[in-house]
Amino acid sequence: MARMTLRLAPWISILALAAAWELFASSGAVTPFMLPKLSVVLERIGADAASGDLWQNLGLTLYRALLGFTVSAFAGILLGFAVTQNRFARWALDPLVSVGFPMPKIAFLPIITLWLGFHDLSKISMVVFDAVFPVITATIAATAGVERQLLWSARNLGARPGELLREVVFPAALPQIMTGLQVALPIALIVGIVAEMKMGGAGLGGAMITASRFADSPGVFAGIVEIALAGYLLVKLMALARRRLLAWHPEAMAPATV
Amino acid sequence: MFDSSGGSVKQIVVESVSHTYRPARGREVLALEDVSLEIAPREFVALLGPSGCGKSTLLYLIGGFLPVEKGAIRIEGAPVGAPGPDRGIVFQHFALFPWKSVRANVRYGLEKMGLPREEQERRAQSYIEMVGLKGFEDSYPSALSGGMKQRAALARTLAVDPKMLLMDEPFGALDAQTRSLMQAELLAIWQRSPTTVIFVTHDVQEAVLLSQRVAVMSARPGKVKAIVDVKLDRSDPHIYRSPEFAAKVDEIWNLVREEAIKAQ
Amino acid sequence: MRYLPLLLCALIWEGIVQLGLVSRDVLPSLSDVLKAAWMLAREGDLWTNGVASLYRGGMGLLLAIVVGAVLGVLMAWWRAVDAFVGPLVEALYPMPKSALIPVTVLWLGFGDGSKILLIFLGCMLPVTLAAYNGARSSEQALVWSARSLGAGRLRVLWDVVAPSALPELLNGVRTALALAFVLLVSSELIVARKGLGYLIGFLGEGGVYDAMFAVVLVVAFLGFFADRLYLAGTRRLLAWRE
Repeated sequence: MARMTLRLAPWISILALAAAWELFASSGAVTPFMLPKLSVVLERIGADAASGDLWQNLGLTLYRALLGFTVSAFAGILLGFAVTQNRFARWALDPLVSVGFPMPKIAFLPIITLWLGFHDLSKISMVVFDAVFPVITATIAATAGVERQLLWSARNLGARPGELLREVVFPAALPQIMTGLQVALPIALIVGIVAEMKMGGAGLGGAMITASRFADSPGVFAGIVEIALAGYLLVKLMALARRRLLAWHPEAMAPATV
Repeated sequence: MFDSSGGSVKQIVVESVSHTYRPARGREVLALEDVSLEIAPREFVALLGPSGCGKSTLLYLIGGFLPVEKGAIRIEGAPVGAPGPDRGIVFQHFALFPWKSVRANVRYGLEKMGLPREEQERRAQSYIEMVGLKGFEDSYPSALSGGMKQRAALARTLAVDPKMLLMDEPFGALDAQTRSLMQAELLAIWQRSPTTVIFVTHDVQEAVLLSQRVAVMSARPGKVKAIVDVKLDRSDPHIYRSPEFAAKVDEIWNLVREEAIKAQ
Repeated sequence: MRYLPLLLCALIWEGIVQLGLVSRDVLPSLSDVLKAAWMLAREGDLWTNGVASLYRGGMGLLLAIVVGAVLGVLMAWWRAVDAFVGPLVEALYPMPKSALIPVTVLWLGFGDGSKILLIFLGCMLPVTLAAYNGARSSEQALVWSARSLGAGRLRVLWDVVAPSALPELLNGVRTALALAFVLLVSSELIVARKGLGYLIGFLGEGGVYDAMFAVVLVVAFLGFFADRLYLAGTRRLLAWRE
């Protein structure tokens, strides 16, 4: 009986929160404007799904954020490798990365729209500009941390120096690189949404800002629920991908402690 | 000195080798000073000394992992080159590729040799069984115990049929019981198919048990202080209790003791 | 010098504009940008907006740190709290915090309140998670030692768990600091009537690009220096660690 409650527990909290929302919103303590009932919000989501609006907006937002994320992943890993393998790359990129990392790069959005206009390209570029940094730093840390003896063993067994990067360094660095990617994904979503809100138009960000301008509070809340669900699913997918790719890792072997 | 066939060919010749570590930060360290050593084919030689005496450094120089800056090292007459499968190395912390299964690890060197697929599988399987890991071919290193990991590392190195084995305190990370078992197994493997072995250790008993000659090294900067022959009947299962064994251990320990104190 | 490449970038920037390789309409020269920054500072625009931004950001972050840290430690200390709040934290963590911008505006309009609320809600999560992980990792041996020496539960919490949780917590606050900047600038770019983010947008719409670039750089470097100052400050606090 105790075990069953332990498994149900996560759902209980969420259901409790949902119930609390519905009750609180119905109680009259707040206006429907401030907090529309959960049932109203869910109805709105259903209507948007039926009319196709939901899929169009969600699809666009995810398309931009994920494309930006993918570009960041490739660029970040390549640049990270370059920094560890090449003296010049290290000298040139290290200050740029360490100074750029803590900056709120979203501040550059107006510059990006000035240069690239108001279409997908600028939204995706903004995402790339932000999301690439954690990937680069994770890749640098990961490749620098590859044990010397792994590289020596590979060479000892006949690997040529040119083969080491692909055959030893990359797999050895993968766990930490994946962690960097797992940090970059939420960043891609956050920044993508902000870019959409600023530039308006189609996409969940644009739809939510429009809703707020029209005082359409169910619309605003619907957007929050939709993007929260999408974000949750994406993070879960990444965690699943990590478990698959890193099945050999000690963390996968050890039983999870509660 | 003569090898088993009566000729005087030395397989490994170390001539007045010195080595300095130059870390990016901090001072230079002279690890080896004017070390000379000759090793015949199929000899089992131990490099024994306190920590920091440079014995691993010498091993890495022979293996080609560090460049020889002062002095010379010749393998079968030719100057030592880049690392390669002719000088198989076994590390203390196994250095298995964690993302590959035991089978894939052992096959790695065979793939690099360009052997046909069936041959790779056959040889890998036979070496895995030889070290006693049958049934664990598809396990990942993180699922194996220390002893099993070292067996896998040994199989991986032996599979490419190296001309010599460079062993860097290979049993140092294992618990005492596993270490004992592994020593016996290594001895058995070596007696079945003798190959040149350079075995780095700080354990006097281990050196006496396994090797035919023990090169005792001084504290840093490392020099070869003495070379002691160890002629023991290794087929004796109670070798530890034999007076010859104890006497040899004593003799060598006396040589090592003052170096160990200096290294403190 | 480590930052030499940045200096070179600045020189290249100035060079390509002065040489006419890039149009001034698209990329004002570095010297123009610096002049504009100076003008903005002198005329006071930079200060009034800067103070507004820093006030909002500071308040929101402070609230997030206090509430988040307390919540995190409570979650680590009492199973009941953890069991109930834990799943909510896990479910809400992946939500892009910027999605809260429209709702905070709906509730509190375009002023300080909505920004403070936004930053409070958004930054609370990383702090809570860090406090939670930090508190949970406090060594069992230390806790038991304290208990055996007669310390009550609350005392142990204060004397053992909180200090052990500190490094992890400080790390979480660093993340929250960066996030606070992002949320602050984002909301000011979109829905504000003052503040540095607003100023950037305002100057951009007015076509005053050299001033716009100036404020962008000011904001970007504010974020950078805040992080560096934070690291320097917390290094003292963590001196006992090694």
